[in-house]
Amino acid sequence: MSSDKRGKFLLVDITHNDTKAILIEENKITGKSKSPTTVDEPTLDVTIGVQDAIKKIESEKNIKLKTENGVTEDVKLLCSSSASGGLHMIITGVISNISGESAQRAALGAGALLIDTFSKDDKRPSYKKIAAMRQTKPDILLMSGGTDGGATSQVLEMADVIKRSDIKPRYGTEYNLPLIYAGNVSIQDQVDAVLGTNGYALKMVENVRPLINRENLGPARESIYDAYMEHVIIHSPGYKNLAEWTDERIVPSQAMVGKMLYEYAQKQELNILAVDIGGDTTDIYSVYNGVFNRSLNAGIGLTYGIGNIVKETGIDNVLRWLPSSFEERSVRNVIGNMMIKPHENLTSEERRIQAAIAREAIKIGVTGHKAIAQRLKGVVTERTLGDMFEQALEPTLLNMMKTQLVIGKGEAFENQTIEDSTLILLDSLQPEGVTELYLDPENMAASLGNLVSHDSLTALKLYADSLDFIGTCIAPKGKLKTGQEALRIDFKDADVSQVFKYGELTVVPIKTMEPVDAQIIPNRLDVGAGRGKSIKRTLRTGKLGLIVDTRGRPMTQYRQTVKLLPFEALGRES
Amino acid sequence: MEQVTITKERRIPTSGEVFVEIGETVTPDTLIAKGMVPSQEIHELRLYRNLNLDPTSVKDHITKHVGDAVEKDEVVAIARSFFGRQTRMARSPIDGAVTDFSANKGRMMIKGHPVPVEVYAHIPGIVRELYDNEGARLETQGYLYHGIFGVGGETHGELTLAVESGDTPLTSSEIKQEHSGKILVGGSVATLDALREAVKQGVKGIIVGGVDQKDLTYFLGYEIGVGVTGGEDVGLTLILTEGFGVNPIDNDLYGFFMEHAGELACIDGTTHIRSRSQRPEVIIPNLSL
Repeated sequence: MSSDKRGKFLLVDITHNDTKAILIEENKITGKSKSPTTVDEPTLDVTIGVQDAIKKIESEKNIKLKTENGVTEDVKLLCSSSASGGLHMIITGVISNISGESAQRAALGAGALLIDTFSKDDKRPSYKKIAAMRQTKPDILLMSGGTDGGATSQVLEMADVIKRSDIKPRYGTEYNLPLIYAGNVSIQDQVDAVLGTNGYALKMVENVRPLINRENLGPARESIYDAYMEHVIIHSPGYKNLAEWTDERIVPSQAMVGKMLYEYAQKQELNILAVDIGGDTTDIYSVYNGVFNRSLNAGIGLTYGIGNIVKETGIDNVLRWLPSSFEERSVRNVIGNMMIKPHENLTSEERRIQAAIAREAIKIGVTGHKAIAQRLKGVVTERTLGDMFEQALEPTLLNMMKTQLVIGKGEAFENQTIEDSTLILLDSLQPEGVTELYLDPENMAASLGNLVSHDSLTALKLYADSLDFIGTCIAPKGKLKTGQEALRIDFKDADVSQVFKYGELTVVPIKTMEPVDAQIIPNRLDVGAGRGKSIKRTLRTGKLGLIVDTRGRPMTQYRQTVKLLPFEALGRES
Repeated sequence: MEQVTITKERRIPTSGEVFVEIGETVTPDTLIAKGMVPSQEIHELRLYRNLNLDPTSVKDHITKHVGDAVEKDEVVAIARSFFGRQTRMARSPIDGAVTDFSANKGRMMIKGHPVPVEVYAHIPGIVRELYDNEGARLETQGYLYHGIFGVGGETHGELTLAVESGDTPLTSSEIKQEHSGKILVGGSVATLDALREAVKQGVKGIIVGGVDQKDLTYFLGYEIGVGVTGGEDVGLTLILTEGFGVNPIDNDLYGFFMEHAGELACIDGTTHIRSRSQRPEVIIPNLSL
């Protein structure tokens, strides 16, 4: 990655509620501010919030950053945005789990919120697709279908459905809906004949699925960024002016979060799983063996999407995380009201209900992510005898035993204590083996992801600094009887051994940041090397300390009391 | 509350016939457009199995041919054996028409009849614009109030107060026979019994402060998901003004409903919570204009 000569960056991330500005000078954050986002009424001009955020840094540091038409020459302005719910897209394909899925990956990777997906093989008849498409009002439509030289008539049938739907863009009728065609390239002319003059701003790019066994997401993703900048963002209040302040594209925030996580995982050579639970979406990002995936569960979130969680998982699965004194009727009313009128300040009861819901949201999100983070479908794969033993053909890339780092971010963690946030992550993700747990309270991933292309080293360092390290979790896989010895940890430098019984969740509050050398010896359980095999690790301890979760995998205990092990037991001081 | 200009786009999702003209005055029950959409029901009959014949022989035993209309349970193929003493038959599983028959494979395709789709005016007003073969844009003057959550689609009727104040619960004892066809304004909460009684008495809609989420789930028969409603077929339209649980209707709002009791109310429970794009609405049109 290149390092920009000026080295002075003003990073602006515009979210639904807040506009955040970060000033970076000489590889350090020298100014930070936050102002309310001003896209909605009554202001209807995003630049007011951006100017306000910049002014706060200016007055705090007594410097000048803003000029009449942009920023001073010595500073580079980089903007990302997820205001107004982010980038709303619909995708179409021919076969939902082949071209449809590739288009989905391209759109999700570009930071989109998928509001609907249509394919030739979905169950809805054409007229219902038309009625549904008319209701969607997306920002961009990504159309896929057919391998190069492959399916023709089905692609053209979908084109006809799109034409008849006369889909209007989200921000009014005075411009045409951007439609990116990323399907069978050999019929681009025919697609153009159907859609080119029918109220769509049609752009042709390379096929997202040129061959059945090859995906090509880059051109479609770049085209989404271009369309977002050229057609969508310009129609959002004030963005046209904001775009003139910078010579860089304004990009979707979620795409930059993905970029930051990918860069971080690559440089640290780690497998990362990050969960981001917002109001109406749950985003899961993963990087396994260098492969990045993002999945998004639209309609699964803590405000607008909260009802859907109860619908998908059932009220009993929510109640299992709550004390028995919580009555179903009142829990349901609280959940219903969180859905229809987002709350500013939560009561302690609402906070606990939200934490219970967050666990189920992550579980649903991870299930969806497993379907996205996998090998291409439709490809005939030969399975050898060796594969059966090496598990080289696992159905999904997501593997908790191979996950070295977990990050929690978003609304779900903002209202919770660090202890409750840890429980949310442990209960929902059920990490296996040795996993480091982090929270992202600063929520700077989007801004720093935007910086990656200009100064990746600074972006990486600042991102690492912005994370809150909860601690290392040791969680053996397998089952024993409650009370049996699950594992023993020999702490080398303290010359102390500690036995942990099965069925407990223990926090060892070693709050020193010095890494601890330890040998983990499981009893008939697996901590990463196989059943009953011990491993040696240098364990880093974070804000909570060391977490030992011997509740078994898969977990069957829900209302678990956390056991605190005194530090004296390990001969250490806090 | 101020009177506003209200516009409504009334379109069918297919090509059809539009029954109004620009400038025409419509009532809520005026049919704006009607069309036909293909049926979703398609059945493939493996006639050789039903008749226990070789697939290539089936062609000699069919009684319905491509293009023929068929009724549910009507015989489409028949084979007799043992000198007519044993009869095997294949019947149509739906009302529809034979769309395909394969003489080699002994298979027949039957597709259901096209399904009519219609759109009515829903509000009284004037036709301002026509959408070719699809519908029209209507305009009216009146009061427009948005609730917070609703279920059930468009309906209209006389606005009627069912309780004495905005903080009185709406129970089944308040629902009377004379409320049939009316839009009732309830109080702080509608009980499950009240909702069921309202359906029984033919009430078209209820506007109320709140409802227990559990009662609503029982009333609907399923959990509400992402907050996209409007298509529920539960016998009435329900609009909440405040939220789930017991929530008295705001005094000013209850006063507004009192003031307009006896007038026409056109209501729609359709709610799309995501991006705050659509909330349920109550329209009280000004019929004097």
